[in-house]
Amino acid sequence: MATVTERVVRIEEAPVVISRTRALLTALRRKPLGAASAALLVLIVFTAIFAEVLAPYDPLAPKPEIRLAAPSWEHPFGTDDIGRDVLSRVIHGARISLWVGLLAVGIGTAAGMIIGLLCGYCEGRVDLIFQRVMDAIQAIPALVLALAIVSVLRPNTTNAMIAIAMVIIPGNSRIVRGAVMSAKQNRYVEAAQAIGCRHPRIILGHILPNVTAPILVIASIWLGNAILIEATLSFLGVGTQPPTPSWGLMLSSTGRAFMEQAPWLAIFPGLAISLAVLGFNLFGDTLRDAWDPKLRRS
Amino acid sequence: MHKYVLRRVLLAVPVLVLSSLIVFSLMRVMPGDALVALMGESGNVGERELAKLRKDLGLDRPYTEQYALWLWQMVSFNPGYSIFTNEPIAVSLRKAIPVTLELAALSMVIGLVVAVPIGVLSATRQDSASDYAGRVVAVSGLSLPDFWLGTLVITFAAIWFHWIPPIGYVSFWESPWRNLQQFLLPAAVLGFRLSAATMRMTRSTVLEVLREDYVRTAWAKGLAGRMVVYKHALKNALIPVVTIVGGQLGVLLAGTVVVETIFALPGMGRLTVEAILYRDYPVVQTNVMLVAATLVTLNLVVDLTYAWLDPRIRYH
Repeated sequence: MATVTERVVRIEEAPVVISRTRALLTALRRKPLGAASAALLVLIVFTAIFAEVLAPYDPLAPKPEIRLAAPSWEHPFGTDDIGRDVLSRVIHGARISLWVGLLAVGIGTAAGMIIGLLCGYCEGRVDLIFQRVMDAIQAIPALVLALAIVSVLRPNTTNAMIAIAMVIIPGNSRIVRGAVMSAKQNRYVEAAQAIGCRHPRIILGHILPNVTAPILVIASIWLGNAILIEATLSFLGVGTQPPTPSWGLMLSSTGRAFMEQAPWLAIFPGLAISLAVLGFNLFGDTLRDAWDPKLRRS
Repeated sequence: MHKYVLRRVLLAVPVLVLSSLIVFSLMRVMPGDALVALMGESGNVGERELAKLRKDLGLDRPYTEQYALWLWQMVSFNPGYSIFTNEPIAVSLRKAIPVTLELAALSMVIGLVVAVPIGVLSATRQDSASDYAGRVVAVSGLSLPDFWLGTLVITFAAIWFHWIPPIGYVSFWESPWRNLQQFLLPAAVLGFRLSAATMRMTRSTVLEVLREDYVRTAWAKGLAGRMVVYKHALKNALIPVVTIVGGQLGVLLAGTVVVETIFALPGMGRLTVEAILYRDYPVVQTNVMLVAATLVTLNLVVDLTYAWLDPRIRYH
């Protein structure tokens, strides 16, 4: 009996793991844009991790004698209004953006997943109440809601992150709910119920592993959005506060004030945000095509 | 159709009530109360003055009473006073709403005028150079932050053309030309962002519809290409585009927040950002609720339009 169970488990689990990795690799090989986005993301993550080694100067050290210096060999991205190296600040900015993005998406996805699992599995009144609350949250545009949350909690990086996480929850919960409802129709769930498995075991052991694909796809797409919202909040002065080098903040504090004299102050941080968002968007698209083409419409 | 309209309207009511509850409780989550936080930052304010202010603003009453009062104020279009400027919020809104409406309408028009033709062109010439160019424009529209695009547009208009938008808002009725000069760049920036998703959707739906049997029949009848694309394909392809445009309304309203700040337009977005920076919570609360109510109403209109365009929806 034990061998049979083992074999069943092996047959059910093994192909899932292999096929997902293989599907992603095939998609990356077939779609040059997907491969390029993956390379871009590796570069951004690498930059964020090794920012201290890669940055040629201290991102916070002012050198008034070289203020607003144009791009040169010593300072490829120029210097800002108090002589800080823009390249070093952009490199360190990757860390803030990625950190905020990852944590916000992590928290938002986890919370959205719990609500989605609960709603999709229990249905009925629980589902109705939660979904109406999610509708109500979604009625407020993401940026406006994030702004309102930050205004209540005080502007800083951590609170911006909490605000972004809150904004992510409704959309995520809805996708997970849909996936759970369709996974619930499968025979193995019925079988688990028939042999008397408890609800937590059915949810965690049988349903959750089958809804991870949409969760991961949505999370990767949200990462780009989270970076964009963090940059926007910092740009509006309610996110990361000076002197921390955040891409959005660099654009608003010095980029706009000196834009005619020193356009590089606006160009490079903006380019960094665009590339990061583009990378996550394209990679999310590739992941979706590889793992969950059904999501294409949603 | 009547039943469908009634059901949709009834569904929108609890969403609005819940949104108002969320906004109201959010403003009261703050440790202490808004007034203490505000006055604590501004310097020495006596306990007696604080108590008086709290009483004037109704902050000493129970939450249920405060919520009911606020709801009544919202419904009767008299949402109280700003803590910071002491101006009635209704007066600020009367000045700000037309600015945002004009910006939103212009952006929407620019967005659609750009998106639909490029989307159709991309689909009819699939995998050609113009298709790739259209797709690159769409992807950049989704990835370039509007605050960066706005900053660059202002910078390069000033450097290359020595032109900066006229400063100090003038309404369209006072001076149409000056007003358009002020609105054209911000609307173009926002319109570009809006066009991205619409362009992608138009491309994919036109591609789908072009493979339908009735389009093949139209070709077989020997109709001219333009006739097939515009008369037969586009009409049906545009139905899902309506939903995408509806989904973009949130992006549009959020976009006005950023674009108005960059281009110094005194609209709802800028009013909200300033209120947030000064922690003027009655204004934040009112503006956020107003945005939510607008969005719910607009989405309802979009849903109803969709049902009107595609009768199948009503019976689902």
